[in-house]
Amino acid sequence: MDATLAGHLQELRRGTVVVASLMVLREPGYGYSLLETLSAAGFEVEANTLYPLLRRLEAQGLLTSEWNTDDARPRKFYRTTEQGDALADVLTAEWGRLDKAITDLDTTTGRMK
Amino acid sequence: MTSLIDRYVYTALRRVPEQQRADIDRELRASIEDAVDARVDAGEEHDAAVTATLTELGDPDRLADSYAGRPGYLIGPALFTPWRRLNVTLLSAVLPLVVGIVVVIQVLDGSTFGEVIGAAVTTTLTVGVQMLFWTTLIFAIIERTGAAKDKLRVPWSVKDLPRYEPNRMPVAQLAMSLVWPVLLIAALIWQQFSFSDVPVLDPANWSFWWPYFIAVLLLQCAYHVWVWRLGTWNRTVTAVNAALQLASAVPLVWLLATDRFFNPEFHQFAKVGAESDVKHWLSVLIIVITVVGTAYDIADVARRGERVRRGLPVKVTGSGGGYSYGG
Repeated sequence: MDATLAGHLQELRRGTVVVASLMVLREPGYGYSLLETLSAAGFEVEANTLYPLLRRLEAQGLLTSEWNTDDARPRKFYRTTEQGDALADVLTAEWGRLDKAITDLDTTTGRMK
Repeated sequence: MTSLIDRYVYTALRRVPEQQRADIDRELRASIEDAVDARVDAGEEHDAAVTATLTELGDPDRLADSYAGRPGYLIGPALFTPWRRLNVTLLSAVLPLVVGIVVVIQVLDGSTFGEVIGAAVTTTLTVGVQMLFWTTLIFAIIERTGAAKDKLRVPWSVKDLPRYEPNRMPVAQLAMSLVWPVLLIAALIWQQFSFSDVPVLDPANWSFWWPYFIAVLLLQCAYHVWVWRLGTWNRTVTAVNAALQLASAVPLVWLLATDRFFNPEFHQFAKVGAESDVKHWLSVLIIVITVVGTAYDIADVARRGERVRRGLPVKVTGSGGGYSYGG
């Protein structure tokens, strides 16, 4: 049963990390800082998922990146592009719609109120 | 000595495309060091913090796949269905045909019983494995390159549903029932004119019996097409089937029993054991198979005809066991 639950939770959470990352990175941030922010905000995300994801979003033109070498440790900073911003808005709207649709469902019979 | 972090980064980068390596190297190191620092700040020892951070990052090969965007499977869900359909066809229809041809060639070549069985088993294994391997390889390449991927994803429509009409033979079954007489005719002609200098079967019978058998086998082909087009089983079918079966079985048994079947000049049987013994037992074996096979076939067709006549449920062809129509 635990495996079933874990599977369904994973299905449900898939995609939320993308929305969250695009929203958080409206302010530039680097890999580890984003990981910290997301887990503090309650998103369960693994480092080995997030780091490749950032590069994939960059390749899709939703993020841009820049190396910051001012600090002792050079870090790659990501920032959401205009395109990424627009996509985040669409996804957030969809999330809101789904949330409303689920809330509107009568929980005992599954029928519309 | 290379540090644990170095070893981790090198292992992961080994499987990442060359042009991305330098960038990922810098970024991955910075991320690992950030995480280690955070753990040390929280009071962990440095070495323990490194181990914990790398353990959390997990298998470097998997991380590399993720960076490179490589799928973690050989054939994805989009191509799995056409892959399975093709392999089912190859293994259930093409493989038996290939094995059948090999067996016929072996028999005509004068091989011993053991050799024929051996050839059948090795052909089944090698050809089967080859079929699976090459289709899988080609599908895996298509999966990775994406070439022709759309063409393989044939859109499905309700027209593709099998008909499942009771009493009706699927075309595949018709084809299979035609293959056997055609193979026998080919074998009969082939053994006379090629493979060995001395034909296996008595050439004296070309004056009447061998042409007669060819004619009966052709009639059996016509019978199968007729039943297929008729789309049902009845008493006429039962009678015609029985007549055709007996027309080939009775003379065959008679030829074998009176020792007029095999060519007296054919001495390859001596390879297996005493020639007269081998010939005798082979004749008995063929007689038994013929009698049992003929009896079963006549009874089976008669039984079907009777069930249809009485309106009893008939097994739906092609739907697998245990599912009846019209009950």
